[in-house]
Amino acid sequence: MDSLAMLFWAPLTETFFQKALVGGCTVALVCGVVGCLVVLRRMAFLGDALSHAMIAGVAGGYLFMKLLFGVEAHAPSMLLGSLIAAVLTVTLISFVSRVSRIKEDTAIGIMYTGIFAGGVVLVSIFRNYIHIDLMHFIMGDVLGVADADLWASAIVAALVLSAIVMFFRHFQLTSFDPVMAVSIGMPVVLIDYALTTCVSLVVVAAVSMVGVILVVGLLITPAATAYLLSDRLENMMLLAALFGVTSVIGGLYLCIWLDSSGGGAIMLFCTLQFLVVLVVAPRYGLLARWLRIRRMLPQQLVEDILGTVLRHGERPVSAAEIEGHVQDSKGIQRAVRSLVSQGLLRVSKAGVLLTEVGRAEALRILRAHRLWETYLLHVGTPEAEIHPRAHALEHMHDSSAVAYLDDLLGHPVKDPHGQEIPEDVDCRTARDLVALSLLRKGRRALVQQVTGAAAAAGLKPGERITMAERRDQGKTWVTVREDGQEISLDHEAADGVLVTCE
Amino acid sequence: MATSDSNATVTIEVENLTVSYGPKPALLDLTLSIEQGLLVGVIGPNGAGKSTLVKAILGFVKRDVGSVRILGVPAEKAKGLVAYVPQRGAVDWDFPVRVKEVAMMGRYGNIPWYREPGEEDQRIVAQALEMVRMSDFRDRQIGQLSGGQQQRVFMARALAQGAEILLLDEPFAGVDAATERAILDVLERVKAAGRTLVVVHHDLATAAEYFDRLVLIKQRLYAYGPPKTVLREDLLSEVYEGKLRVFSDLANGEG
Repeated sequence: MDSLAMLFWAPLTETFFQKALVGGCTVALVCGVVGCLVVLRRMAFLGDALSHAMIAGVAGGYLFMKLLFGVEAHAPSMLLGSLIAAVLTVTLISFVSRVSRIKEDTAIGIMYTGIFAGGVVLVSIFRNYIHIDLMHFIMGDVLGVADADLWASAIVAALVLSAIVMFFRHFQLTSFDPVMAVSIGMPVVLIDYALTTCVSLVVVAAVSMVGVILVVGLLITPAATAYLLSDRLENMMLLAALFGVTSVIGGLYLCIWLDSSGGGAIMLFCTLQFLVVLVVAPRYGLLARWLRIRRMLPQQLVEDILGTVLRHGERPVSAAEIEGHVQDSKGIQRAVRSLVSQGLLRVSKAGVLLTEVGRAEALRILRAHRLWETYLLHVGTPEAEIHPRAHALEHMHDSSAVAYLDDLLGHPVKDPHGQEIPEDVDCRTARDLVALSLLRKGRRALVQQVTGAAAAAGLKPGERITMAERRDQGKTWVTVREDGQEISLDHEAADGVLVTCE
Repeated sequence: MATSDSNATVTIEVENLTVSYGPKPALLDLTLSIEQGLLVGVIGPNGAGKSTLVKAILGFVKRDVGSVRILGVPAEKAKGLVAYVPQRGAVDWDFPVRVKEVAMMGRYGNIPWYREPGEEDQRIVAQALEMVRMSDFRDRQIGQLSGGQQQRVFMARALAQGAEILLLDEPFAGVDAATERAILDVLERVKAAGRTLVVVHHDLATAAEYFDRLVLIKQRLYAYGPPKTVLREDLLSEVYEGKLRVFSDLANGEG
């Protein structure tokens, strides 16, 4: 057998290792499952509290049997004692937070340290009677697991797991929406106590292995690890159980190889496992998040690229040319690829061209940009600031906002720099009703609805019209009827005529 | 908006204000002048930009275009002049603090760390509590007050701060009729003392009765003026899209 295989096989032949493995895995498995509910109900601090409080229960149970019956270290009564201490702690916590203004987290802090302190005092007063090694409880001893401990954890695991399997829906609903659970008649308080009892049982079983300080980690870390990977409670519980078991296996090998503390090694492995998942989890992991952010294209860049290609007319545009017109040249390749896959750009040999959809989008952005420029001048923005500010504002190309600006400014044809403002997109399709005021020179249209001053001027639905050049600095719209007669309309009258373009 | 129709002092002057969080502007080209000593209700559907307007008056939002001036000072520099009265949910009512201490918090901005609140501060706080009719409750812990009283304490704090403008976000949400009356009474008193109150309001049915002026917004300003001129059927149906019958009742029944 080669040395690597020996590294894994040798410990397995030792009885103490076998017991540690079996006991540890049993406890970790059930810890993982119960831990899911603890994590989802945000009770992590309570788990910590229970593990500390049970010291008092263990001491109490020990003393009770020793003083009354003279039995030394009677395991069942110590177990019962710790359960009583745990339930007492929970009861006191909920009592204090219910009847006083003390918030629950403070109540937990008060009660568990108080009961823990009681246990410490008790053990130290009766130190000649009690042969409990406090350190054993605080640090745990997974490599010194006794047969009685194995049995205890097996029974606890069986009890708790069957309770959770049988009442899964109850635990799920009371954790998710307790108010609704009450309204359909679920005994929510009873279920809460049942869960607390389960947590206490699990904690009691786990303390002898990993100790008071680390037990809360075994309860919540595998569950939190699973939380990063699952979107269903059932899956989360299965994964948490798995992570609990792998923590114990990995931790025990670590402990043998490094000759370290057993409980410490298990929790260290468990935490490392969590950190790895935190990084690589497919949806909720850091790596996935980072990739998502990286994949997102800056809107500004996309719009700049479309604008650049539009300004080059019908000619294909190379990547180098785009680079010259874009503020931040990083990610152009990726953005272009994405625009091609979205169908806004198409690739030819000499460079990229706008598709029909891409051209409409680019015109929409250009229209927004030039209208914002006109607006900025209108509200008295200094000349030098207009272009950069409009560049920042053009991302606001929501159609109703742009339509409002256009109307406010009297449907201008040219921007302050004398460049033409692209026509409203609806003028390019025959489907939609548009106001006559939006039509540019040369546009032919069919009149559909006429209201206000235009009706008085004689324009009727069903007529074909052609737009002529506007007069009075764009304040008078001139439309030519089929018989050659001209009709002049002001802004309001032109807004009152709805047409479809041809 | 006409700004020259009266010679009253303009306290809030919003000019060509555009604020955006994305391709759709939250506020677009909003121009509005509110004169001193008015009780102004801001109405509009959900997502119309009511709270963005409130934040803009507080000087909290990044403006894309335009300006907001408070008594002639840009809003960002007028911090003390505008006070925000929080909604009830935002406060820990078990916090160990009494009514007069909450009101005193309004003075904290004016008291340097090495000084205790002086007689002048005490006087201002007493005056503010008197104005909102909470003097009798000054030694109560804030959790022991009713919902309407809690609102009034926070108004007292705003007054103690020396604020000329009080912004209230739905003070009438979830209070009973008697409390609503009590709050309204205090709003009237504060107004009579020359302060300007801007109140975000949801209930169109009471809007005409409660306010001197209404601001109707949905991204843009649709109307500003006395309730009668704002609660017009055509305007409301344009802003609230449909539900015409309700509006015609409102427009005809009120004012």
